[in-house]
Amino acid sequence: METATTLFAFFYQFVDNAGYLILAAVGLTIIFGMMGVINMAHGELMMIGAYTTAFSYHAGVPAPIAILLAGVAAGLVGIVLERLIIQHFYRQLLSSLVVTWGISLMLSQGFLLAFGPSILNVPTPFGSLAVGEQTFGVYRLVLAGVSLAMVAGVWALFAYTRVGTDARATMENPKMAEALGINTARVYALTFGLGSALGGIAGGMFALTATISPFFGVNYTPLAFITVVVGGGANVVTGLISSVASLAGVQTIFNNAVSVYIGYVAMFGAALLILLLLPSGISDYLERRKMRSVSRTG
Amino acid sequence: MRIFKLLTGPQTLGRGPLFWSGFLLVMIVLALAPQYLSRYEIILFSNFFISGFLALSLCLLWGYCGILSLGQAAFFGIGGYAYGIVALNLLNLHENTMLAILAGIVVPALFAAFIGAIMFFARLKGVYIAILTLVVSLLFQTFLLQTADPSYTIGAAYLGGFNGLRPASPDDPLLPSLILGFGSATIELDGRSYEFFYFVLGLLCLVYLGLRCLVNSSYGYLLVGCREDSDRTETFGYDVRLIQLSVFCLSAALAGLAGLLYTAWGTYVHPKVFDVAPNILVVIWVAVGGRKDLTAALIGAIVVEWVSLRLASEGEISLFVLGAILVAVMLFAPEGLVIKLASLASSLRPKRDRAAATRVES
Repeated sequence: METATTLFAFFYQFVDNAGYLILAAVGLTIIFGMMGVINMAHGELMMIGAYTTAFSYHAGVPAPIAILLAGVAAGLVGIVLERLIIQHFYRQLLSSLVVTWGISLMLSQGFLLAFGPSILNVPTPFGSLAVGEQTFGVYRLVLAGVSLAMVAGVWALFAYTRVGTDARATMENPKMAEALGINTARVYALTFGLGSALGGIAGGMFALTATISPFFGVNYTPLAFITVVVGGGANVVTGLISSVASLAGVQTIFNNAVSVYIGYVAMFGAALLILLLLPSGISDYLERRKMRSVSRTG
Repeated sequence: MRIFKLLTGPQTLGRGPLFWSGFLLVMIVLALAPQYLSRYEIILFSNFFISGFLALSLCLLWGYCGILSLGQAAFFGIGGYAYGIVALNLLNLHENTMLAILAGIVVPALFAAFIGAIMFFARLKGVYIAILTLVVSLLFQTFLLQTADPSYTIGAAYLGGFNGLRPASPDDPLLPSLILGFGSATIELDGRSYEFFYFVLGLLCLVYLGLRCLVNSSYGYLLVGCREDSDRTETFGYDVRLIQLSVFCLSAALAGLAGLLYTAWGTYVHPKVFDVAPNILVVIWVAVGGRKDLTAALIGAIVVEWVSLRLASEGEISLFVLGAILVAVMLFAPEGLVIKLASLASSLRPKRDRAAATRVES
């Protein structure tokens, strides 16, 4: 019984860490993985989502709808940002990074000016679950489940819908897509908006577990970015899943063996190691292996 | 003659007699500052000059070699902590802080050599390097914030968590100011004194002129070669990775120098120096001034620092406005305001000068 509890605790922690990483990264996967834009303001879009959720919740809106509203708010902000600023920085990686960092500073400081440094809270739903001697929050498991559903949704959207096909065509070859009658400016704005909306939803979901302040988003951006980079751009879904599995695995092991801080350091160490061995990310390596085995058997 | 050629080579803006008379004038105005500024303003200006070193370090790395570090404040902080830790431990033995100054420069450079070797020899992409440097800075902050436990002492230095570096026991001396000299012939430069102001101003001037010579030397051309086309530089037989690593270390040493001066200036260093805000500030100074020229970055740092001080008296809008300035500059004058103004000014002058002035920007 004792070992079963320990095992479950370990599993629970892994699922918690993995869900956290997926949620933080899923919006950025679209923006960086597909559009090649580095959005340093991603954490601030999550912060906007968290504030929207908290305000609507306290205004009497039920939590699930408050979280959806967060997605709408962050998505709209994302579309405005893309049209006003980010569209001028496609294919200029370092400049896009600097300008979005400026935006992130404006957003976090703007919220500080508007709402002050005070901290908002939304109660965590679903209560807890007892396994052996210990209790575990159910919401964390829901969070991980939703994160997987979001990945599946994104995959289905890009694989099976007209909008998704247009988007993939635009990212592949914008001139050709334009020639075929796709409004690429609209595709860029919508894709950026979708990535932002997913960030907003993630922020809204985290709002139920974390305290919300203007600097809520600061720590998510580098974390999300590393998750995306380790996954690579060759296949967004396998990249994200494999990257999260390895990073969250390393983090959980070191977290248990040493300390929370060492867990973080080990995760970044693992990310660095993976990038050294596979500079274009795990998914790129997997795709190439698949190609090789196909060409060998064929 | 050769030195003068290096000082005014094509990698730096400002070559004519007009520029150098202006430079001399600025130096005279600054040297006379204690005559017309209050003591408080002198102390602030000492701090602005310290920012100048940090801006030059990022300008060299990002502007000349094309490597963007979002974690430049990490080396600043490491330099500051290294100075403090060594000074606290050796002050009773040596009665000067010369070794601590050395540590404040060498330790960040060694650390840069360590992470730089991994990043450059793996040929990581520029954006990955940018994010990883930021992550390193944030990891330092997280680590130092949780060192409030009394067990985190290094000899006579106690890391002190959120409260910053301090002596391990009340009997030990406090974090010292700069104490230069050897044996009994020492001079202490209190951060609030005119002597410190002149020392930092003189040192900044020397570093600035030295860097001008460096970027106009053949090494400087190599840096620009790596920025413009690293594959081509490689085909010419140069090891791009070594050049990148060397400039990364040099830049870290400069940032460390700024950090140790900051620690000595305020006799205080705390984990907040590793936070996101200081890191983004360095990028704002350099991007707003103009990353591809030392003078522009230096002016950017001092002017932006002065502006943010002015804004700070208006309430908490300072960082918001700085973010807006950064976004506006990136949109409308991506090469930087000082460089933009310089090219506007040179377009008013005869054609011969114009060709020379625009060469840097392209």
